[in-house]
Amino acid sequence: MVNYGGDEVSALVLDIGTSTVRAGYAGDDTPKAIIPTSYGFKKDASAEEDVSMTEPGEEGDASPKPSPKVTMYVGNNGPTVWREGMEVAHPVRDGLIQDFGPIPALASYAFRDVMRCDPTEHPLLVTEPAWNTASNRERMAEIMFEDFGVPAFYIANTGVLNAFAAGKGSALVIDIGHDTASVTPVIDGFVLRKGLAHSALPQLVRAHAHHLLTSSNSSRPGIQLLPHQLIANKQAVDAGVPPRFTLRADRQAGTTESWRKWYEDREVEEWIQAVAGVLDQGWNEQAAAQRGARHYEFATGYNYYFGSERFSVGEQFFTHSPQLVASNPNLPKSIPALITQSLSACDPDIRQVLMGNVVLTGGGSLFAGLSERLSNELSRNFAHVKIHAPGNPTERRYGGWLGGSILASLGTFHQLWISKEEWQEHGSKIVAQRCK
Amino acid sequence: MAGASAADVRSILSLPSPSTPGPSQPKAKVLGTSERARKPEGISRELYSLIGPSAPTLAAQLAKPRLKQKPNLGGGGRVKWEWQTFKNAGRTDDLRLSHWAKTGTDPEAEYPFAKYNVQPTSYVYSQDEYSRFLEDKEWTREETDYLFELVREYDQRFYIVGDRYDYPGGSPRTLEDLKDRYYSVCRKLVRNRPWAGDEASKAQLISSFQFDKDREATRKKYVACLENRTKAQIAEEDALYVELKRLEQTERRFKKNRDELLRTLLGVESGLPDIPVEDEAPLNGSGLHVDTKDIKKNKRKGTHEVETPISATPYSANVISLGQPVPRKAQSAKSAAYDALHCIIRTEAPQTTSNKAAHTPVYLRGLKLPAPKSAVAAKIAQILGELGISHTRLVMPTKENCAQLESLIEAAAALVETKKCVDKVEQDIRIAKMRLSSQANEGEEDAAGTPSGMDVDEDAEGVEDEMEDGRAPSVVSTRSTRSIKGYKQVRSLRLHLLSAMLTSNSHDDPQYPLSTPLQPGLFQSVENGRTIAGSYLCILSSCSVFSPISGMLLLRKFYVYRHKISSTYHATAIVLCSERTDGVHDSSRFLIDIIISCISG
Repeated sequence: MVNYGGDEVSALVLDIGTSTVRAGYAGDDTPKAIIPTSYGFKKDASAEEDVSMTEPGEEGDASPKPSPKVTMYVGNNGPTVWREGMEVAHPVRDGLIQDFGPIPALASYAFRDVMRCDPTEHPLLVTEPAWNTASNRERMAEIMFEDFGVPAFYIANTGVLNAFAAGKGSALVIDIGHDTASVTPVIDGFVLRKGLAHSALPQLVRAHAHHLLTSSNSSRPGIQLLPHQLIANKQAVDAGVPPRFTLRADRQAGTTESWRKWYEDREVEEWIQAVAGVLDQGWNEQAAAQRGARHYEFATGYNYYFGSERFSVGEQFFTHSPQLVASNPNLPKSIPALITQSLSACDPDIRQVLMGNVVLTGGGSLFAGLSERLSNELSRNFAHVKIHAPGNPTERRYGGWLGGSILASLGTFHQLWISKEEWQEHGSKIVAQRCK
Repeated sequence: MAGASAADVRSILSLPSPSTPGPSQPKAKVLGTSERARKPEGISRELYSLIGPSAPTLAAQLAKPRLKQKPNLGGGGRVKWEWQTFKNAGRTDDLRLSHWAKTGTDPEAEYPFAKYNVQPTSYVYSQDEYSRFLEDKEWTREETDYLFELVREYDQRFYIVGDRYDYPGGSPRTLEDLKDRYYSVCRKLVRNRPWAGDEASKAQLISSFQFDKDREATRKKYVACLENRTKAQIAEEDALYVELKRLEQTERRFKKNRDELLRTLLGVESGLPDIPVEDEAPLNGSGLHVDTKDIKKNKRKGTHEVETPISATPYSANVISLGQPVPRKAQSAKSAAYDALHCIIRTEAPQTTSNKAAHTPVYLRGLKLPAPKSAVAAKIAQILGELGISHTRLVMPTKENCAQLESLIEAAAALVETKKCVDKVEQDIRIAKMRLSSQANEGEEDAAGTPSGMDVDEDAEGVEDEMEDGRAPSVVSTRSTRSIKGYKQVRSLRLHLLSAMLTSNSHDDPQYPLSTPLQPGLFQSVENGRTIAGSYLCILSSCSVFSPISGMLLLRKFYVYRHKISSTYHATAIVLCSERTDGVHDSSRFLIDIIISCISG
């Protein structure tokens, strides 16, 4: 037991990301429950008819907002299912939990409905971004102790956990998530807070892609990003030909703007994942044209071969066009800029260590060609760069959870848990003391 | 086995052996039960009956192999695991977490991971200690406490400490400030506290807290500078580095090639390649009749072998035997005085075949003794051997001795060359005389006419005159450089010698050939007296053979200038003369006597 350092106490690990909430047992290599962080809700006086629907992990008033009566739809059948008048909200902004209202519902859905376990029996490790606020983590601890009654609690940093998942104690963690890209220097399992840098870069990329798709250009008209739930039928058409489909008239009225927007975002995201890419040697029109076009069909039936434009999307990760910079002063920083900012805040002595241990993680880093491009960019500017980018998509997407799974199953870690007793004795300040 | 015998059947069925054995089993009785009892385990009965007890080793090998015991994977006693709570000694509260443990494990036993909970030693100080040793105008007690708390909390990970350090109201601190303060406090505490161990361990501990803030800051600055190089700077540095490497390589190759060349041509070990090339143009111009074409040719061939100018005599090519005088670079009076003051002797660089003046590394003079030309080396060695002188080794190779040896060798070489010429000339003369006598026998009546020999001599005289009038004086008058002048005088001397040899043979007129070259003024103007004397001796030796009177005259001049001639030349003179004792002239002996008297007197 001591030999490999593990001692599993069947702890739970909860990783709340912008896109998904991951939950599972410590010691596993993949989370058991992966549910969207977004949730649907209906503000409704007569909400009873929707409660009768069985499929959503309906969590009534676990932690209600001050609004009168809210029906929440969380889980895999939550926001993705069309419901009349259902709004979609998102508790996480900029990596931080802005709205703790749905958090208990989400956690409860993950623990009780997906994992079918009782949180009162398991210590719980929760992750947080490195720029999390003290009040946020205390609030989280409070929810877990008071609402879920966990026997022990710990909150760990995703940057550190990503480094652990890569098997490193010191690393420069480049985490590209759904909404936020961050660069976190980690030394000996501690985050160097001064070197922390993050920006809403993936949002910019998505916005760029959205703009690219919806605006018409010389070769094709603008594309309608309609979710399939709103389409009654469609006919197969040739590539580039305007789609022939009919909308579901019955759903037109009940579709909320937030749901439609959320789903459009999903459509764009899917398009990005399927088609978009980045050139490995910087933007080059010829090279982009040489890579060939890729076919994609939207929910409307419209399909098209996307040529070099699909590579202009990924370019947003690394460079911004001058006119974009000029027009938008609060442009999120590109990845090279983030790395430069992070490194310049670090001690010169450890820069070499960090650059030798670059960990690329996060679901957004699975963007086609991104790791090659990043490797090229870095080796052009730094002497000895070594990038650790797991080839396994699960490890890349759930790196933070995986690191938590490793940490919470270590024998030496068990003395760090904040026990319920300590929580009751010391109150919220114990969190800052224990979780450094 | 081909088939079971009756005995086998009996044996299988455990029947007693029959009282009367069958013919097929004559030995059945012999194999008693005792034998069978000794049948080892693991060997079949049939095989044993075949091989008998005579192969016990084989039997041992055939014993049933004992396999390694199968691991008992809990097959026998099933291990039961149970969900057990445990107490972690690393915790201050009594949180009871649970894990799977083997049944029977004491739940109260010490948690195996608790031993890794090692607290680092941290220094604490009292107010008294602080006020006595640790006061620092930069730091307050509170901030120091804060620092020590952080260092303890982050286990002396100063990068983290520096990152998290945020003392409210304090001035911003660099990592070096923090380290300096922490280590200086620790040093002072160790130094001033009573120490239980020995001094060495205390000193070691103190040295482990050593921290030089300025040095560290400078070092970090350098590291930052190194990182802040622009791409262009890095590229330039790389390019410079590559260029440097390339230059080094080229230089090495050049040096290697040059060394190889020198070794091949001269056997000279060359030194550093970066010695400026000396301009040797004056040497090229030293020849009398060297035209531009010759100069070019010489430049290409190398300058050491300055050809004797082509003159009227067909033998001139054979007479160049004397070592050419070393041209001395004009030395300023100041530097000469300086040299004299500091006992500096400037040696001339040896002539090399290379057009470039090779740098001559430092060498021992004794290792670079002059060597005769290989063509005449054997004869010279013979001459020197007769003298009892070893030219390959000098007992005391001082500068003077070496110079003398060199002169000796030069003179000896000249002698050899001259003798060769003389032999040839004698041969020619003999032939000519024979022809003359035959002619005389043929036509006695024609005796009134001028002898043809005279005609020949007149021609020679004409040449001589021409040389004297046209060439030699002009050389003396026009050339100002002393070395060149000296060299040319020697050269003209040789020419005179040549004509003298020719004329003296036919005329036996002592006055004519030698009067001009032996003008005292000419001699005195010559700087390099030894070389002149060497030539003089050659003249002497060659003339003495066929013209005793002119030889005597020469000897007289020789005697006059003997103070310029070192003893080696005296010895050479003896040799030269003694070589001629087999000649027909009595004057040879007479000459020897004179020379000996010269030397002794």
